[in-house]
Amino acid sequence: MISLQNVSKYYPTRFGPNYILKDLNIDIPDDRDIAILGRNGAGKTTLMRMIGGIDFPTRGRIVSDRFISWPLGIGSGFNGVMTGRENVRYVCRIHGVKDIKPVEEFVRDFSEIGENFDLPIGSYSSGMRMRYGFAVSMGFDFDTYLMDEIMAVGDADFKKKCNDTLKNKRETSNIILVSHNMDNIREHCNAAILLAYGRAEFYESVDQAIYRYMRS
Amino acid sequence: MQVRSAFAIQRDVIFAIFIREISSRFGNNYAFGNVWLLLEPLVLMTVFIILFGFRGIATLGNIAPPVFIVITYVPFRMLWGSTMKKAMGAAGARGLFGFRQIRLFDVFLAHALIEGGVYLTVKSIILITLLWFGFEALPSDPLLFLGYASTLWLFAVSFGILACMVSRIAKEVEKIINIMTLPLLLMSAVIYPITVVPTQYLNFFSYNPLAHASELLREAWIEGYVSPIADFEYLVTWTLVLMAMAMSAYRLNWRWVIAT
Repeated sequence: MISLQNVSKYYPTRFGPNYILKDLNIDIPDDRDIAILGRNGAGKTTLMRMIGGIDFPTRGRIVSDRFISWPLGIGSGFNGVMTGRENVRYVCRIHGVKDIKPVEEFVRDFSEIGENFDLPIGSYSSGMRMRYGFAVSMGFDFDTYLMDEIMAVGDADFKKKCNDTLKNKRETSNIILVSHNMDNIREHCNAAILLAYGRAEFYESVDQAIYRYMRS
Repeated sequence: MQVRSAFAIQRDVIFAIFIREISSRFGNNYAFGNVWLLLEPLVLMTVFIILFGFRGIATLGNIAPPVFIVITYVPFRMLWGSTMKKAMGAAGARGLFGFRQIRLFDVFLAHALIEGGVYLTVKSIILITLLWFGFEALPSDPLLFLGYASTLWLFAVSFGILACMVSRIAKEVEKIINIMTLPLLLMSAVIYPITVVPTQYLNFFSYNPLAHASELLREAWIEGYVSPIADFEYLVTWTLVLMAMAMSAYRLNWRWVIAT
């Protein structure tokens, strides 16, 4: 269970506090794959970052006993100067993985970036970077994967690979997905959170949430 | 994924940042790459030693001018200057905060350890080189010297953390501190012994904790030298007060400082 308790987030502006989220109270169940829906600026990414623990609510707290991945897809914590391999080692060290070799091999094979794996990731194209980032997160066994517009780039082959991998992963873990692609959401999710007007609402049915989202 | 204790996570993260920092501080456009981590301070120090060390500067007893410069200038420049600035700028390294395990404090600690390590290495290289050229470049009390150097290092880390926290309120703080670097160098008895200061001004100089640090380092290095102002308690008090303030400021503000 990921439990949001009275979560508020605002950014100070010269017009006073600009609330992105206000007094959210949501329990995200462990056995559901959640889509987060909302217009631009509704706070989808902020909510993801807060669940991922790299941003913090101004008030309230987020409680969880699960291993949650870093939010994939948003400019992540990789270092552009280091090579793909060095970055994998870096992420392994942070996550306390002592046996680094298998993860390296997995990422190298899965991302299909070939020799580029040993080149600085600053030189990757955006497609390669996306493949790489996705591959790295798949190299770890999280309980919950956070994905922000992860399926937006990438060619058809890789999209298919992503979809297949996600389906496999969903047997043992679950995902929280931000996407503007409703087909993706229908395919991967079986519950949704709709963010609108600074509020959040939990929907058991994705279709119902999408219906409401289209009319919000 | 395995459950780790908070301590284990912090240890892993500091190690990860440590490796990341030394393998990426200098980008791929440098011909010598990461060697610059040591080369940069070495070149800087060498230039300074040549500039000031061989002129007829004020020195003490039978200490050769280059050695005299090395005693205080290297710690001032690296332990105080670099360490403090690294800590002050730590919150700017946005790229580091993409993983929940990494907290701002880990970044402070990792940077502080790197700067301390670079200092020890560079200082050793310089001393060995000076010894090679026939200078008497060994401290009379190495342990005491290291102790004073570590105090200065702690002082710098605490000051840097505090500056990092305060500069979030007003970025100007960073500017002012950077501007103060040169005046501080001149006021802290780094390139001259405090004994050249007329006695009626000694009182004024002795308010500066960095002057105490310089003089203490000299006392530990030069046999029989007793500084008119050096007071270890004064430096330690400053360090402890700064550290307490830095920790409190961090505790209150760390979320806000790295918030986007």
